Amino acid sequence: MKIIRAVLAAVLAAGITAAACGCSALKGITGGETIRILSGSENEALEQILLDCERSSGVNIEMTYKGSVDIMQELKNGAPDYDAVWTASSLWISLGDETHIVKHDESVCTTPVIFGIKQSVAEELGFTDREVSVKDILAAIEDEKLTFCMTSATQSNSGASAYIGSLYALLGKSSALTHDDLADPELREQIKTLLSGVERSSGSSGWLEDMFLAGDYDAMVNYECLIIDADKQLTKAGREPLYAVYPYDGLSIADSPLGYLDHGDDKKEEAFLKVQEYLLSDEAQTAIEATGRRISLNGVSEQNKSVFNKEWGIDTTRILSPITMPAADVLMNALNLWQSSFRKPSLTVYCLDFSGSMRGEGNDQLVSAMAQVLLQENAEANLLQAGEGDVNIVVTFDNSVMNVYNCESADPDSLMALYQSVCEEQIGGGTDIYVAAQYAVEMIEDYYDTSDYTAAVILMTDGASEIHSKADFEDFYHESDSDIPVFSIMFGSAERDQLDGIARLTNAKVFDGRTDLVAAFRSVKGYN
Amino acid sequence: MKPKVIGALILAAAAAAAGLFMLFTESTQVTSLTGYLGGEKIGLFEDEEIAGYIRKNYHLEFDYSRAGSLDMVTADLSGRDYLFPSSQTALEYYNEVHGSGRAEEIVFNTPIVLYSHKVVADALIQQGIVTQTDGVYYADMEKLTQLILEEKQWSDIGLTQLYGSFCVDTTDPARSNSGNMFAALLANSLNGGRTVDESTIDDVLPQLKEIFSRTGYMETSSSDLFNQFLRMGVGAKPIIAGYESQLLEYAAEDPEGYSKIKDDVVVIYPSPTVWSTHIYIALDDAGKSGIDALTDPEVQRLAWEKHGFRTSGYSAGSGGSAVSGIPDTITTVMNMPNYSVMKRIIDELS
Repeated sequence: MKIIRAVLAAVLAAGITAAACGCSALKGITGGETIRILSGSENEALEQILLDCERSSGVNIEMTYKGSVDIMQELKNGAPDYDAVWTASSLWISLGDETHIVKHDESVCTTPVIFGIKQSVAEELGFTDREVSVKDILAAIEDEKLTFCMTSATQSNSGASAYIGSLYALLGKSSALTHDDLADPELREQIKTLLSGVERSSGSSGWLEDMFLAGDYDAMVNYECLIIDADKQLTKAGREPLYAVYPYDGLSIADSPLGYLDHGDDKKEEAFLKVQEYLLSDEAQTAIEATGRRISLNGVSEQNKSVFNKEWGIDTTRILSPITMPAADVLMNALNLWQSSFRKPSLTVYCLDFSGSMRGEGNDQLVSAMAQVLLQENAEANLLQAGEGDVNIVVTFDNSVMNVYNCESADPDSLMALYQSVCEEQIGGGTDIYVAAQYAVEMIEDYYDTSDYTAAVILMTDGASEIHSKADFEDFYHESDSDIPVFSIMFGSAERDQLDGIARLTNAKVFDGRTDLVAAFRSVKGYN
Repeated sequence: MKPKVIGALILAAAAAAAGLFMLFTESTQVTSLTGYLGGEKIGLFEDEEIAGYIRKNYHLEFDYSRAGSLDMVTADLSGRDYLFPSSQTALEYYNEVHGSGRAEEIVFNTPIVLYSHKVVADALIQQGIVTQTDGVYYADMEKLTQLILEEKQWSDIGLTQLYGSFCVDTTDPARSNSGNMFAALLANSLNGGRTVDESTIDDVLPQLKEIFSRTGYMETSSSDLFNQFLRMGVGAKPIIAGYESQLLEYAAEDPEGYSKIKDDVVVIYPSPTVWSTHIYIALDDAGKSGIDALTDPEVQRLAWEKHGFRTSGYSAGSGGSAVSGIPDTITTVMNMPNYSVMKRIIDELS
């Protein structure tokens, strides 16, 4: 099995995810047909089952993980590089499959999107012994008794589902959301308040769990199966588990459909059907259920009963009434509004390497990558546009900080000016990522109220760094009690160990930009 | 004499060789037809027994892309040999957009039904909306439509375990046939149980639009909707509109899966209902040859027994299905509105 991470090749280990990452070719078999699956990141947890699938079916499986919105866009473009699609929810296939190439799609398993709240916090809020609504959660946030982590609604299905579910709940509505609803000033205020409770964001559900486990947060919105997985790890580590809360007025269920992409190759189709048949077989379904995913309406099988632990609030007997998703145009409007107005503003400091080795090709790539995230026309195409209150800062560095360019506006012209500064920046000398990272974190902590923003540093470097200021940075980070993630983009001959170290220290993640820097920048932007 | 005989023999040999050659090509060369297929017929097209029979006897193979019955009309038709939607409306729509096809034929029929769960059906019986006669559930369409229109909550009809307002999930009426036909049923119900026509359509459109404006995102394929109904439980899909053939096919294809759900899943026949006529439209000469294959008595038999499509020769009276609560004949049926009225409905709901 070959695994291709969100940003081509491997997204590198971020602290505790080391075991699951960096593996580009886990081949279970050799020879045979290959099925390239365009998949949501939540299926990473099923890799062992996919290896068994390869052995049983004799078909090679190549996984490429992307966010739901990216998958939808890819389908719109005909998905020429893939043979199958496996999204979190069939919604994204229906919205994307304009050219009618998806065939044989069937749900592999289901899992609802829920709140996992620290047991003690949930008890204090009185959420463990009664039905909980989104409004109850909103009240807890307004009283500053609860903060939570969730994925970006424009990048990930779990975030989109929770966000849309919240809109319905706040409107007290069970019939479809409309454009008029979205224009309602009261709703706008309420959703902003709700989202002000977001402590940390993520571009994917899988990494949200990893980040949650590596840090210390109150709650997260995620798939039930990932809450179960987190609880297993938390209890194993002797930590407090999360209590599962199913807000009855804003629920949605991910139905995990796997479908064939018909490009007219009969052999591929045959191979796909073998893969699908295996995944739907009793053997595989039981293994899938053991990961905390639901496979049947008739309750949990005897051998997996203990997986769905009632003590964690997991309840498979409850009837789930998910919201009806809005019509496609309303949904896209809602997602755009999330990005441009409703989400907590993001504060992003780009630390960009202008050391000597960036001269020429490297600099050209950097400039086109920044064009993707800063020029609003480009950013909008990927639902990454700047929103109200966003702050974007560029810090250029070599072995010291060279220049700082600040843009406290979502106005396209201001961001264009920021981009111009990047274009005109001169190349300097050596490389010290620690000086730059410390400067960026300090600036955020000193000049901004971090509770008003989801803040992140995005550090791009192309070479091995000097290390004499490494310890200073680490001491500073610990002492300042900061929780600002320093995401890194690895480029050129950057030292992976150095970046991994920063990711571990700051509970962040490393993105590989060596094969496609533009894609790496786009991807990392989705995390903030 | 001799040369003549030889000449004749040579001729005979040549003729025999030619004959053999024809025989040879006929038995191995299979023409592959490609076209758009409504999702509810995929199971039938994927059925190896049917495909094998058609290959052997008609030297044809059906390749397909799935598309909603109305969507397929406006899809890119280059290189396609056929369309196989599920209604007369789609045919008339096709004729309007492209002019008439090479040939067309009604191949299968199946009524529009509601799929629900025992607990919901019981609640609807309590409300006097559903009745049970000879083991078959029937829903009074006018009362059901009122329930939808009034935005009653599930809890209002005694289903406190369900959140939200009473609704029937359908596919997108502007793009897929089962949703389209259910919209027609609602329109007829709003019209006092009479088929809407040009003179009455304006009276019902506002209410019809109101109903569908509340449904939000709708699937474009009836097979997707039905699969979700089976997979997601009573909370997610309390009632959906679909084809009778769908459950019959599921029961025949997956008896074990069906045995697990059969005590919970119920089929409710709208009274009156409408027929979905699965009509095959040949786009070229190659496509035309598909008609003979699909109307072959053996294919028609298999279509009923394995896929639940009623045909001229086979239906519930002829046995062959494990599903209970299926009437031998569908007696209370009303006509679909004509195409120009349906077009108004489609345009209004697009």
